[in-house]
Amino acid sequence: MRAASIRRYGPLLAALLLLAALGGALASVVRVRADLAEFLPPGHTRASEFLARELRSGVATSLLLIGIEGVPPQELARLSRSLGAALRASGRFSFVGDGTTSLGDAEQALLFRYRYLLSPETRPEAFTEPALRARLEALLDGLRSAASPLLARFGFADPTGAFLNLARSWLGESHLETRDGAWFAAAASPPRVLLIARSQGAGLDTEAQQQAVREVREAFAAANPGPARLLLSGPGVFAAQAAATIRGDVHMVTALSGGLLAAFLFWRYRSLLLLALAAVPLGAGMVAGMAVTALAFGSVHGIALGFGMTMLGVTVDYPILLLTLRQRGESLPQAAARIWPTLRLAAVAAALGLVAMLGSGFPGLVQLGLFAAVGLLTAAVVTRWVLPRLLPEARIEARPLPRWLAHPLAALRGRHGLALGVVAVAAGVLLALGGPRWQRDIAALSPVPRASQALDEELRRQLGAPDVRYLIALGPGEEEMILRASERLEAALAPLVARGALAGLDLPSHYLPSRATQQARQAVLPEPDVLRERLQAAMAGLPFRANAFAPFLAAVAESRSLPPLDAAALAGAPTIAARLSPLLSRRGDAWQGLAVAKGVTDPAALAAAVAGLHDPAILFVDTKGETEGLLASFAHATVLWAAAGGVLVFGLFAWALGGLRPALRIAAPVGGALVVTLAVLAAAGEALTLFHLASLLLLAAVSIDYSLFLRSSPGSPNETGSSMGAVLNCAVCTLLTFGLLAFCGTPVLHGIGLTIAVGVAAAFLLACAAVPRPALRA
Amino acid sequence: MKNSRRALVRGFALAAAGLALPVRAQEPALEALMRGMAAVRERQESFTEEKAIPELDLPLPSQGTLHWAAPDRLEKHTTSPIEERLRVQGDRLFYERPDRGIAREFGLEEQPEMRALVESIRATLAGDLAALRRYYDVNFSGSADGDWRMALTPLSVRLRAAVQRIVLAGHGPQILSIETDGGGGVTRMQITPLP
Repeated sequence: MRAASIRRYGPLLAALLLLAALGGALASVVRVRADLAEFLPPGHTRASEFLARELRSGVATSLLLIGIEGVPPQELARLSRSLGAALRASGRFSFVGDGTTSLGDAEQALLFRYRYLLSPETRPEAFTEPALRARLEALLDGLRSAASPLLARFGFADPTGAFLNLARSWLGESHLETRDGAWFAAAASPPRVLLIARSQGAGLDTEAQQQAVREVREAFAAANPGPARLLLSGPGVFAAQAAATIRGDVHMVTALSGGLLAAFLFWRYRSLLLLALAAVPLGAGMVAGMAVTALAFGSVHGIALGFGMTMLGVTVDYPILLLTLRQRGESLPQAAARIWPTLRLAAVAAALGLVAMLGSGFPGLVQLGLFAAVGLLTAAVVTRWVLPRLLPEARIEARPLPRWLAHPLAALRGRHGLALGVVAVAAGVLLALGGPRWQRDIAALSPVPRASQALDEELRRQLGAPDVRYLIALGPGEEEMILRASERLEAALAPLVARGALAGLDLPSHYLPSRATQQARQAVLPEPDVLRERLQAAMAGLPFRANAFAPFLAAVAESRSLPPLDAAALAGAPTIAARLSPLLSRRGDAWQGLAVAKGVTDPAALAAAVAGLHDPAILFVDTKGETEGLLASFAHATVLWAAAGGVLVFGLFAWALGGLRPALRIAAPVGGALVVTLAVLAAAGEALTLFHLASLLLLAAVSIDYSLFLRSSPGSPNETGSSMGAVLNCAVCTLLTFGLLAFCGTPVLHGIGLTIAVGVAAAFLLACAAVPRPALRA
Repeated sequence: MKNSRRALVRGFALAAAGLALPVRAQEPALEALMRGMAAVRERQESFTEEKAIPELDLPLPSQGTLHWAAPDRLEKHTTSPIEERLRVQGDRLFYERPDRGIAREFGLEEQPEMRALVESIRATLAGDLAALRRYYDVNFSGSADGDWRMALTPLSVRLRAAVQRIVLAGHGPQILSIETDGGGGVTRMQITPLP
């Protein structure tokens, strides 16, 4: 008995094990890429190229935004200080900002020493006798005022106020309320403290990002938080969170749909063997698709893999059709040979439809198309030649449809008018809503739940993080070249700032002037004897002691021969270096600079002014406009190629079925199902993304199956009945496998699920209605 | 002769004991003073101030009024030689120089030097010993209802760079003088209650 069952099921078991082993081996060998930016095209313009690079590895990608709330303010401040200290001590962060952020002593000493090279106030006129006189009077006045402790400390070494003005401009007026060494979000209820941290790893390094997130969580837990809540955001958090949410959703849906699918198949076939059989072509398709994609591209993108697998869901239909359409007395190989022409046509048509993706120019979509096309064809071939041999004796038979189901379905047959009416109404709705809406916001492509995106926005706003919509790229090139470009830009935009077209610019040269500028400032500083004479003249009649300004004279003399500061030397001033690092960073051999325009009220004027510079090292980037343009061009290209794919598939039908009319009969329900689905999505307010597109292509593929198989049973009403049963089984399986995703919280999965649930139902019902009414027989 | 010598020795011994007395032994008196301070909800005083700065030949004089309203509002209004208002309330510091059209508002935490100066007086007026000890080592001598002297040494090294020592002196719940040593200079403030 046991030997018999091993003989019987052995080949099937072996095939499944082999596929599992191959899949496992591939998964360990093939590199799976995870970040969204890799999925996008490299960009057609310099601006979009720059943007794509920033998205991939820009400094913004290594930022962590941290909030704490849920306990009284004093406790919040303690947690903030403790967390900030722990993060600094960990060495994993290049910058930790919190309420304790101020210049350290060593840092202050370095910047103080370089004040005359760094300060834009170092101009010839600042060191003339009248200018010095005015400064000394102001100092005296300041010493009388409440600010005297600060002035007594710095004023005699720096009567021109170069350092204090620098510190003020660097550290700026914060939007945040600092209390007890912590940043409190302004007017937040309940009270919330904020921190910001930049991890060492580049944004691309997902592992480093997740490690940084873990570090924050552990440091928080170690600070005895009690009932306090930690709020975390930033790209690194998103990556980890998205993976976890999707995993959770998928687990839930897999368990649920697996159970329902098994129950359904058992009800229809009284056999769970079918599940194992259905897994063979699917598994073979995935392994082949992954192998070919990896060979062609060197790696497989996680998104292409995920959605490729979704689209291969259509291959579950093949074994179901094979087993259900087997006629009494026919062996499985015979049945496979008989349905092969239809199956072949269905698979080739579906694969041809994927040409749309190969032509889209999106690296991710090309991968997805290749993956799915190879997988589909492989699954069809396996269903034809391998599956029958695994279980030649299989006696799995679908039970006839119950009357309550068979009756209405039979009544639906031949209702062309009804089908046309439904499609016409859907088309009308679609037209009235202005056609399908394309998602233009790149954030919607992100698999991050909406609640997390909202938290991110809130933390950013509270932290006063700059709006990075308008960027000006500087370089790439040498450090000095970028700093000079930054200075040219500042000079060119000064009139616009004065006019109020923008509130200001955050520039790398603001923190680190170019070497040329520093040297020019050194040249401006008067010789010691000259300065001493002018100072003495300026001091006349003021109550300063004769040698009161000795430190000033010494500092100016020293400044004249200091080696200019560069980015490497500025590392000795961590607070300022941290401000500079997002604006000036090394990318391989070259440096990339970045200027952020703040409070832009007249973007057109800004763009025109930057363009008017005709400076090859300065490039204006409207990040929102660029990404929207990117997505719009993607949508445009995709629609074109989808249309081309549709024409190709239609041509294939016409050729294979011998005429336009039969081709139209097959294609009509497919087109109708797509129109109905698009109408429902538009009415539900869903904007179309890549993920909807992948689902629509899956939908097109399954509806081709339905249409072809329902049509291709020319025989008795019994047979049409059985093919209707077979197709219904396929549709329900697809619904149970993918439609349940509609209940997921992750936007991506929800989009797929909704599209497929609506589409499969429409495709099946339309295909049924398109089948001719059975001839009346005695 | 012998007696007087003995008295002298005893005097020295007492003085030595007094000097050697642990700070905490003055705790009840200090706490009593703080309670007395806390009981005064509002004060209106005039002040004169002299800043001696080593780089200047002459000290810089100024005068004006002080106004205190419990629990946390303190205003220093300088009327001469320049007009200037400095007001703290809660954690905010308001600074006004009408002749220059300057009006600024700061978070006190952003100005650690200022915070220390503020709390030396404000925490004392509020009778908040804990707040005082958050910033200073407190060395008290005297009695709560008579003359007293309180020397404050900043706890943070960073603060000590700007302010080395603040000595408050007074009688009962009234501060009469504040002497601030910082950066080699001394600022002396004399306070007189207004009727």
